[in-house]
Amino acid sequence: MLGSVERDLARRALDTARTRGATYADVRFVRRAVEDVLVKNGHLETVDRSDSFGFAVRAIADGAWGFAASPILTADESDRVAALAVEVARASALTKREDARLAPARPVTATYTTPIEIDPWTMRFEDRVKLMLDADAAMRHAQPGLRTTRASYEIWREEKLFLSSEGADIAQTLYETGASIAAESVGDGEQQIRTYPGSGGRSQNTAGWEYALKWDLVGHAPRIADEAVALLTADQCPQDINTAVILSSNQLMLQCHESCGHPIELDRALGTEAAFAGTSFLTPDRLGSFRYGSEQVNIAIDSTRKGGLGTFGFDDEGVPATEGWAVKDGIFTGYLMSRETAAAMGTVSNGTMRADGWARLPLIRMTNVSVMPGSAGTLEDLIADTDDGIYMDTNRSWSIDDRRLNFQFGTQVGWEIKNGKRTRMLRNPTYTGITPEFWGSCDAVCSESEWVMWGTPNCGKGQPGQVGHTGHGAAPARFRDVHVGVVQ
Amino acid sequence: MNGVTFGERELRAICEKALTAADGDQVEAVIVARSAALTRFANAAIHQNVVSREAELRVRVVRGTRVAMVTTDRLDDEGIRRVAADASALAAIVPDNPTFGGLPADTALRTAPSAFVARTADASPLDRARAAKQLCDAARAADLSAAGYVSTNVQELAIASSHGVWAYAPATTSDVELAALGDAGSAFAQRTALDIGTLDIAGCAGEAVGKAKAAQGPRDLAPATYEVVLEPYAVRDIVTFLGSQLTGNAVEEGRSFVGGKLGQRVTGDVTLVDDPFDAQGLPRAFDLEGQPSERVTLIDRGIAKALVYDSQTAHRTGQRNTGHALPPNPFQPSAPMHLRLEAGDRTRDQLIKDTKRGVLVTRFWYTRWVHQLRTIVTGMTRDGTFAIENGEIAYPVKNFRFTQSYHEALGGTLGIGSELALLLPGEQFGLQLSSYRVPALRLGAFTFTGATQY
Repeated sequence: MLGSVERDLARRALDTARTRGATYADVRFVRRAVEDVLVKNGHLETVDRSDSFGFAVRAIADGAWGFAASPILTADESDRVAALAVEVARASALTKREDARLAPARPVTATYTTPIEIDPWTMRFEDRVKLMLDADAAMRHAQPGLRTTRASYEIWREEKLFLSSEGADIAQTLYETGASIAAESVGDGEQQIRTYPGSGGRSQNTAGWEYALKWDLVGHAPRIADEAVALLTADQCPQDINTAVILSSNQLMLQCHESCGHPIELDRALGTEAAFAGTSFLTPDRLGSFRYGSEQVNIAIDSTRKGGLGTFGFDDEGVPATEGWAVKDGIFTGYLMSRETAAAMGTVSNGTMRADGWARLPLIRMTNVSVMPGSAGTLEDLIADTDDGIYMDTNRSWSIDDRRLNFQFGTQVGWEIKNGKRTRMLRNPTYTGITPEFWGSCDAVCSESEWVMWGTPNCGKGQPGQVGHTGHGAAPARFRDVHVGVVQ
Repeated sequence: MNGVTFGERELRAICEKALTAADGDQVEAVIVARSAALTRFANAAIHQNVVSREAELRVRVVRGTRVAMVTTDRLDDEGIRRVAADASALAAIVPDNPTFGGLPADTALRTAPSAFVARTADASPLDRARAAKQLCDAARAADLSAAGYVSTNVQELAIASSHGVWAYAPATTSDVELAALGDAGSAFAQRTALDIGTLDIAGCAGEAVGKAKAAQGPRDLAPATYEVVLEPYAVRDIVTFLGSQLTGNAVEEGRSFVGGKLGQRVTGDVTLVDDPFDAQGLPRAFDLEGQPSERVTLIDRGIAKALVYDSQTAHRTGQRNTGHALPPNPFQPSAPMHLRLEAGDRTRDQLIKDTKRGVLVTRFWYTRWVHQLRTIVTGMTRDGTFAIENGEIAYPVKNFRFTQSYHEALGGTLGIGSELALLLPGEQFGLQLSSYRVPALRLGAFTFTGATQY
């Protein structure tokens, strides 16, 4: 955990900022260690470690915001960066329409460390790599069409120290572990992919190495490779039909991320992301009354839940982790907020400001935005309860408009459901819809036993760009009358 | 040299210390340094305003065919020693990668045009705030709101290896982006220049504000396949997606639309070149392994001609390295980084005039692969979509979702704009690595598969 050296520099920066005229300032020191390993086609392709350490000063002067950051950890640089943050703030005031205001937050002195079972940073490197080599090898049994296999992990440790001119002094150490396998197949003008346990990159949690072990990557590898090859000759998913769709837990996770997590970001709703990420159909006048989904739909905002990538002690404004609701019984009830946007709403922040390392400004980011379990039993129970439809598993493609209404997703694999049974495999499944109509068509969510806390370590937002780590719990769920397939 | 964070001499000294401190058969040291500033505004006021100084040293150590990389942002002697030691220790215990072909040799570099302009590097917070105010004021004068940014960036890239490689290039960029927003419609414009003194802020404001006024009150237009005129912002997206598939690695992995088709027609009559020496782009003579980057004609009047390579893919596939390596990574080891879609002979207004019935698209949004091998992409239109009737912009229309094969869309190229816009893709691996110069395009068929209510 960061200590007295950084604390002294932080206090010095706060003093300098105050002396230069800042009415508010905070300082974050961040040290991030990351190790990425990837095995590809049987060989260790990449071993990449990084250690990034720096600090940033955020200041309000003349009623406007400034921010400056540096990796040089000296007293002189502390002074320079603090003074520069104030200079930048004064320049910002050139266009000021009203003074920046912060909702109150009690300044605390506290520490927080992610609870982990197996510290990946102290175990043998060779043991981590062996799991990936074994998982990759288990995908590479001879079969025509299999082109590329990958097995990868990332381990992460971030030490943060936050001090503010209001008196906050918070030190945290956050751990993350992620792992995945992927099999790609090529043949007859088709290219297909299967990944496990999540889609695309990695599924990741705030956890130790126990997270990489829990998925039994080696045990699932043959199935994943077999499915990738089988998809080459599977039937094309029906085009331009409306039917019931059951989304896998990991697909519902991304559906939630894109169509609920982003539109409940209050900065978007207030227009401050309008040029880039976009705005939100969940405007403040809809808070508390807008029907977002069916009564089956309950979506929590919870940065206290164990394992989520949005789980921490305090956000990067020093606001403690909280739990609440974004959607309760289908009604839109809550935003993700910062201190400044909360003030605009006449409330207090629920602690969702996070920055991508020391060199970036904290932004409103999803913490753990999760579709809470229902009572539909297991996935197999839900399939058995479905006469006609398609089960879609693991994301392959995702796109949504800049107000988060019109979306189109594709999954890696689909399974036709006939008379309550999973029948033939379908390739290239896609579905499209309008967010509140889609969630309004949700008539069943599986039970707690099927609920998984997923993590997306690749959420882009902001200019300059930042990569956020967000958590999303989900269980399989069914949606009625969904438009499936894209007319080509 | 004014404005740079380090300068060539200091970066070379750091690299040499790292090479000396590391213990391996081959060693590479790469430094990425930059001072980046971005002033962001929304609701016609600056709300985020950041300046950061960043620098990182990556040491890659090779022992036989065992390879490890470690990166740090501590560039003092202790930081250099530690990162070199960590990479060396790691390389001693990682498993072999028998496909690794060794670090590339020292190869003479051509001189590229300078991409560094001191006055961009020296731009102050007040300079950027004034530019932001100019954009906000222009929107406000038209009863529109404004959102966007003003950015200046100075960066240095230095690469050294135990084979004698030394490559250094500083660069600057400045760019502005404006979304002008009304109650019922918006429009977007962007300008980029290496020299902030030539940055066309007024042109950016005029384009976005003028188009936003015309964009108010969009009408419904049924999603269907239409002829389209794409502004350069939208064309950039097509070039980005197709460019990512014009690499040796994409073909090796079987995901490229030109796999097995070199020498064959893959698009209409367009020419796509990767030109690292284009003085109007963001020139740089070398790639991220310090190897000379070649000018490569990827598509020549519709015929797939060539691919770009990094050293490792070239080694594995028996091809020649064209000097297009990105930082070592298993997903996209190489990329064309200076793409230019060659200009045609029609002005943008002529492209519209040539269109009897179609759609004018300002830019695409949230584009993602649906099927990589067939280059099918889905995404939305955004910030200025209009119906064209009888050669004129007739009325604004609500935004569409499209699902379209990009190379097949280029197969129906009907006209190419005569002016090329310089556009940047945003930072990659901590740097402004790439630039695009693209024209407006008129395409015969583009399939819109959904619509919005705005």
